[in-house]
Amino acid sequence: MTVDAHTLARARAGDEAAFQALYRAEVGRVFALCLRLTGSRPEAEERTQDVFVQAWRSLASFRGESALSTWLHRLTVNLVLTERRGRGRRERRLLAVESPETWETTGTGHESDAGQTVDLERAIGRLPDGAREVLVLHDIEGFTHEEIAGLCGIAAGTSKAQLFRARRLLREMLER
Amino acid sequence: MTDLREPDSEPPVPGVERLPRAIEPARDLWPGIAPRLRGAARRGWMAAGALAAAVLALMMLTRRAPLGATRLEGRPRITRAGVTTDDSSSARLTLSIGQLDVEPETDLRLVALGPSQQRFALRRGTISARVNAPPRVFVVETPAAIATDLGCAYVLRVDSLGNGTLHVTLGQVELAGEHLVIVPAGYVAAIRSGRGPGTPVSVDAPPALVRALDALDAGGAGPALDTALRLARPGDARSLWNLIPRVAPADRGRVYDALARLAPPPALVTRAGVVGLDPGMLELWWNYLPWVGERR
Repeated sequence: MTVDAHTLARARAGDEAAFQALYRAEVGRVFALCLRLTGSRPEAEERTQDVFVQAWRSLASFRGESALSTWLHRLTVNLVLTERRGRGRRERRLLAVESPETWETTGTGHESDAGQTVDLERAIGRLPDGAREVLVLHDIEGFTHEEIAGLCGIAAGTSKAQLFRARRLLREMLER
Repeated sequence: MTDLREPDSEPPVPGVERLPRAIEPARDLWPGIAPRLRGAARRGWMAAGALAAAVLALMMLTRRAPLGATRLEGRPRITRAGVTTDDSSSARLTLSIGQLDVEPETDLRLVALGPSQQRFALRRGTISARVNAPPRVFVVETPAAIATDLGCAYVLRVDSLGNGTLHVTLGQVELAGEHLVIVPAGYVAAIRSGRGPGTPVSVDAPPALVRALDALDAGGAGPALDTALRLARPGDARSLWNLIPRVAPADRGRVYDALARLAPPPALVTRAGVVGLDPGMLELWWNYLPWVGERR
């Protein structure tokens, strides 16, 4: 589902109904990214709402040089990482492990793969913060290590090391 | 201790690449978003009201002289075509989306008054605008630049040659001519005939910085850029942001470095992206720069 140019123009002009249509079209991707980056469904819901409020504020300055989904994607990663950097790691760990049911209601659309997907998502959610962020950005979202380094404020070598660690931990969790 | 082995020695976990890119939340999050929009900078609920009010204003203005125009002092000439004041008169236009004061010795023409845009031409003189509307609805043309409201209040002044200034006191304004600049609250941009908008400067910028930016606008480079980058303070960050696309490509990295020292970029903004004028990154950084005036 994509947002047509007319709806986007109306949303940019402050039409709340058009912006709601934009939200309906994009919420799945934004929520998925928030969920994987935070590992917590309640936090992901909160961040998703923050992303769309921020998007509403900034939409007037969106000039359309990039796709709306790309723009929203950047906004999401930036907002989630900025928010998480501003909070204590202890609090984050509590949030990350508090909800083993986080992935229980994830729908993939492919029932035969559903069990494996839920296991995989749950395992990703249990990765340490840094490792999870790098794995999500690299293996799922397709960012390069150089881009991740810029996003997370770490060296590219650290990003590579975190990815190694994340993959190994993930494999170990799935094999248990 | 950090493990520095290459990730290639630990291949991707099968299935990760097939994970769905979209996951619908278990509950509808919109009810938690909608009320926050109404308290946010943009006001969606105003769209319908602005539309209706603009249509009403259009009907009134096409029938007779603008009913929304009132005399503040002297004897301004108010017609369907616009407002002209002499050195001892002024007027106020009450629009559906705000208020426009026409100062003495001003010639302001109405270009269009429709539901999607209210457009005026300032031929000479001074106007003070206070607009409460979705961005890009209120537009004022001058001989050398076009000011597009992004939700704001400002004073726009031009002489008969097209030279002038735009001083934004609330929100921000897009000023387009030979090129485009964004003027935020607390900043002033010069308008020069044949040169277009100048780099916005904060109202309390050091005089030496103002001179350096003016020299850059006039086509200067080396020493003027060195001076600007050296003198800029955190409150001048938006001046440097506006400089990025205007300096030579070889100098953009230096502007990035100076701006990053004043206002570190958010996570997704990279040096390479900014030097390459990535519009998404530039826009994102803009949204994180400090405000010296009232944002709205």
